[in-house]
Amino acid sequence: MNTRNIFRFAAGLSGTAILALCASSNLQTGKADLKSAGALAFGPDNILFVGDTPSATIWALDVQDRASSKSGGSIEIKGVNEKIAALLGTAPDQILINDTAVNPVSKNIYMSVSRGRGPDATAVILRVDAAGKISAVALDNIAHSSVKFVDPPAASTNGRQVETVTAIAYIDGNVIVAGLSNEEFSSTLRSIPFPFNGAVKGAGIQIYHGSHGRFETAAPVRTFIPYEIDHQKAILAAYTCTPLVKIQVSQLKPGAKVEGTTIAELGAGNRPIDMMVYEKDGKHFILMANSSRGVMKLNAENLESYKAITAHTEATGVPYETISALKDVQRLKKYDDGTALLLQGTAGSMDLRTIALP
Amino acid sequence: MNRFAVAALLLPLAAAAGDILINTTDGAFQVTGWKASAEPAAGWSSVFRVYAGAGDIPAMLGAYTVERSVLTFRPRWPLTPGMHVRAVFHLPGQAPVEAAFDTPKSASAAATRVDHIFPSTDILPSNTLKLYIYFSAAMRRGEAWQHIRLLDSQGVAVKLPFLEIDQELWDPANTRLTVLFDPGRIKRGLLPLRESGPNIEEGRRYTLVIGHDWLDANGTPLAADFTKPFRVVEAERAPVEPAQWRISPPRAGTADALIVDFPRPLDYALLQRAIAVDGVKGKVEVARGETQWRFTPEAPWKQSDYRLTVNTTLEDLAGNRVGRAFDVDKFQEVTTQIQTETVSIPFRIGNQ
Repeated sequence: MNTRNIFRFAAGLSGTAILALCASSNLQTGKADLKSAGALAFGPDNILFVGDTPSATIWALDVQDRASSKSGGSIEIKGVNEKIAALLGTAPDQILINDTAVNPVSKNIYMSVSRGRGPDATAVILRVDAAGKISAVALDNIAHSSVKFVDPPAASTNGRQVETVTAIAYIDGNVIVAGLSNEEFSSTLRSIPFPFNGAVKGAGIQIYHGSHGRFETAAPVRTFIPYEIDHQKAILAAYTCTPLVKIQVSQLKPGAKVEGTTIAELGAGNRPIDMMVYEKDGKHFILMANSSRGVMKLNAENLESYKAITAHTEATGVPYETISALKDVQRLKKYDDGTALLLQGTAGSMDLRTIALP
Repeated sequence: MNRFAVAALLLPLAAAAGDILINTTDGAFQVTGWKASAEPAAGWSSVFRVYAGAGDIPAMLGAYTVERSVLTFRPRWPLTPGMHVRAVFHLPGQAPVEAAFDTPKSASAAATRVDHIFPSTDILPSNTLKLYIYFSAAMRRGEAWQHIRLLDSQGVAVKLPFLEIDQELWDPANTRLTVLFDPGRIKRGLLPLRESGPNIEEGRRYTLVIGHDWLDANGTPLAADFTKPFRVVEAERAPVEPAQWRISPPRAGTADALIVDFPRPLDYALLQRAIAVDGVKGKVEVARGETQWRFTPEAPWKQSDYRLTVNTTLEDLAGNRVGRAFDVDKFQEVTTQIQTETVSIPFRIGNQ
């Protein structure tokens, strides 16, 4: 549909009706039979996307959470893993918190959780409201749609082949999915049009990494976030081999071979966990939770002007500082314009809290 | 499960005063000695809550029903073994009635073990990319990296040799874990390799240790530690070249195995599915330290021309694929860069 057609079509409908139409297309109400709830991301009209690794499925859930809130205030839930375990009638060592996401409209927080840690674990989606109350999203009767992003493995593979969803995001009508194979060192980002059309699984985008212009590998993306600075839409992606790269969204075409531009190279032992982009005092920054360097704040201003790292230097691209006060950050999400949401702690006891953006 | 059996499993620790009692049957909790009628405006949860554990925790999720005037709470999921559960019935203006229950612990003997680790060879290239750990039963997620250690010849743990992925690359049954060596210390030209050197160094010996304190899906530790000693040889940087394979066709009329020998070990998991004989059903076996692929047909071979189809995703131990090395050196002449998804190798089954 071209712009003129959209305009004509819209003339007879209110803005709200158009939103509802967009969101509800292809959604069916009934049981969303998630085998597992992993990576989370919000899409248009409060649709929550959920990565379900064992069934190779991306779910789109209408979480019915449209009340607008400019800011959720501040959240501080100590021992959130213990509270979740109690809610689910189990012990804290029997749950895994897999991901968190903030509804950009309501500021309610969503968490994907495994109740149980074996192959029979139950998938649970929880909602945390501004008062810190935790409740379960009912999956038995919810408007949803889904897409299988790979065909089920053939019998000859003994059913062991799995592509683990490590990150998802919604960008311009497509759900971008990063996956890691448990057999191939593959490097596929998938771009799946939304609303889902069952037949369209989304074509793979081959992602490569060239180190210093010389050695090129098919490089799996471990985590990524979309961002838009100076009208340029891009993703910031962290490869499994640690470089932080930028890739223009316009390059993420099905079937394309894309080589990310390295903007920072992290040293040995670093494990990028989660990232967010924000603006403060008119400047753009990237906040990245990292296994060994804690939380790093990178200057994203003029990201385009930093030359790609193409030669060995001690300087590693974009300047950064380490926020030493933030330890053991497991998840890091934008909460509102001035606040980040952290899932923080070790396996024993974890806290969910908001902090002012540094 | 009948009422008697469950009542015996859940052991009441404290009884309530007065006529009102909290019982448990079939995994549900009932308030007896009190006639439930209209639901309070704030819901049944305003008067009756069940808690899994102690301290400042929310009440358990579940559903309330009134059956023959008895208020009943059914947890959303069956209670986990070994839980301490507290039920509180509190009418406005009255003293709360409380009861506590312990669900029995599951007591299974340590029996799960590591069955195999692939590569099965004890000679690994210094740029080895992947390990597969096969367990005899389902394991627990979320603690792998605490239990996998790589020791050098002095018994000192190598620092962070593996890519510690939160999601843990399990198969659907949680019986096989894929472990990636840190690719940042394999790929040439990257900072981690310069700073810390390769994960494993040529000419040295190491021992991979899987700790027995790793819990299986039932929460029981492994029966024993598992160790895999190996020594490290030169990095393998060449693509997998099917043209170098030796194919030994069986005779027509037999259902003997077609044997394909490789000059170096290939990835165990990918060998199960990356090679096929076009149009022939059969069973795949991988032998001789992953240097041999054996295919036994369901029906006898015919005297005919056949074709072996190899998926180019097939990798060796260092992640070199068919026609494409793990890290391609763009400064060198690229001799083979296969872009297709498969390559074919013809062979003939004859009477000799």
